[in-house]
Amino acid sequence: MLFRNILFFMGESWKNLFRNGWMSLASIGVVAVTLFILSVFVLINMNVHHLTEVIEQDVEIALYIDEEATSDEREQLVENLRNHPEIKKADFVSKEEGLERLRDQLGEENGLLEGYENPEDNPLRDAYEISMHDPEAVSSVAREIETYPAVGGVEFGEDVVENLFDFTGVLQVTVLGLMVALALTATFLISHTIRLTVMLRKREIMIMKYVGATNWFIRWPFLFEGFNLGLLGTVIPLVGIYFGYESVLQWIDANLKFFPSLIPLETAMGQVIILVVPLGMALGIIGSLISMGRYLKV
Amino acid sequence: MIEAVNVTKKYNDGNQALKKVSFLIDRGEFVFLVGQSGAGKSTLFKMIIKELVPTSGTLKVFGRDVSRLRGKEVSVLRRNIGIVFQDFRLLEEKTVYDNIAFAMRASGASPREMRKRIPQVLEQVGLKKKVYSRVNELSGGELQRAGIARAISNRPAMIVADEPTGNLDPQTSMDIIKLLRNINVKGTTVLVATHDQQIVDELKKRVIYLEEGRIVGDQEKGAYVRAL
Repeated sequence: MLFRNILFFMGESWKNLFRNGWMSLASIGVVAVTLFILSVFVLINMNVHHLTEVIEQDVEIALYIDEEATSDEREQLVENLRNHPEIKKADFVSKEEGLERLRDQLGEENGLLEGYENPEDNPLRDAYEISMHDPEAVSSVAREIETYPAVGGVEFGEDVVENLFDFTGVLQVTVLGLMVALALTATFLISHTIRLTVMLRKREIMIMKYVGATNWFIRWPFLFEGFNLGLLGTVIPLVGIYFGYESVLQWIDANLKFFPSLIPLETAMGQVIILVVPLGMALGIIGSLISMGRYLKV
Repeated sequence: MIEAVNVTKKYNDGNQALKKVSFLIDRGEFVFLVGQSGAGKSTLFKMIIKELVPTSGTLKVFGRDVSRLRGKEVSVLRRNIGIVFQDFRLLEEKTVYDNIAFAMRASGASPREMRKRIPQVLEQVGLKKKVYSRVNELSGGELQRAGIARAISNRPAMIVADEPTGNLDPQTSMDIIKLLRNINVKGTTVLVATHDQQIVDELKKRVIYLEEGRIVGDQEKGAYVRAL
């Protein structure tokens, strides 16, 4: 394609855009809404993933040793934990250490522990804190090690772990479904806008055909028009997302002290831009291709 | 230049627009195609520019079978044929200059070629003073001159004109047909479909007579009413 032709096609496409002012605006609006909702879902999805990872790192199994276990049984337990393929790390926490930690956690309230100073009065049990290679295997491993000799009990955040994985699964399916529906709507609207231009320019197209314009000479301005609609439709959601996400981060920072930190603004925007800009352009181009297919055959 | 051998066109609704039409038009000829509405003139013109293809038979334009032309070859064919319409088919909101430039650009001309060629063709059709007039400010005759200027702007080897005087008064019609004759004198083949008796009788050129899709006569220096 010649450079002078590219300039001509771009000029024509902008003219068309303004010629169909309201319809163009509607298309840009729908692309913007689609991409905005999409971006919000992407941000939620990204952050849920991020939080899952943060929480997953904290998910551990607490294994309490049966006080009546013999030293042979204890040694066997250590051996079993060490050789288990799913277990990354098993740290021994003696009951004295456990009491000390409890005292630290209670802080000013540690008066509650008065009377337990004597080691023989310590109500806690020796324990192991176990972390996993794959956090999703927590429940199955917990059930397995519960059956080992010398194990007096096992605890882990069963519900938290399973609900978290269920939630992310449902969210991903919902987001995917919504993305497809919205993208189809946007493509449909763009194709209608371009079809309107094709109709308005029917006479020009006919003359171009008669004087020997190639199919692509006729098509390029419409393709550029779709591209422009898509691109303009990405600007609004990106600006909205930038300021919206910034406010959310600031609000969480100010109000939820113990909430794990979300993905930083720059990183999140980078990911959203990588997704939204090419998607907007693609929606525009696909929309124009659909509308041109039938109408622009020489 | 145009060679038709047993060209038949049957539309999907069963209407047979052309029935085994055969003729030969040489380079540099001026030919009238006459016949009533529905005789098949427009169908034949549409085939020459490959807007339609024959149902059977062969139609060769510039030595090539139009049915076999694909994609870009169709564009090349059309760039070599200037088309003049009864209803002018100009872009009304544009100037005369822009209308011709629009067509030249679409057929691949450079801006430099346009700047050089447009004044030349407007001079040739006698419309130089109207170069920057909007099309909707022109008279009927001027509109057809602008249409002819556009048709010759790419220096086509052939002009096909479908009822070029159909919307014009007799005097203007005569001016337009003389303009086409002058273009023909410079070497361009001209094919005019018409049912304007006056212009056919005045020019005394070759006439092909079409009736209900068949050629019923072909006379050198013919008149509108076929000599028996």
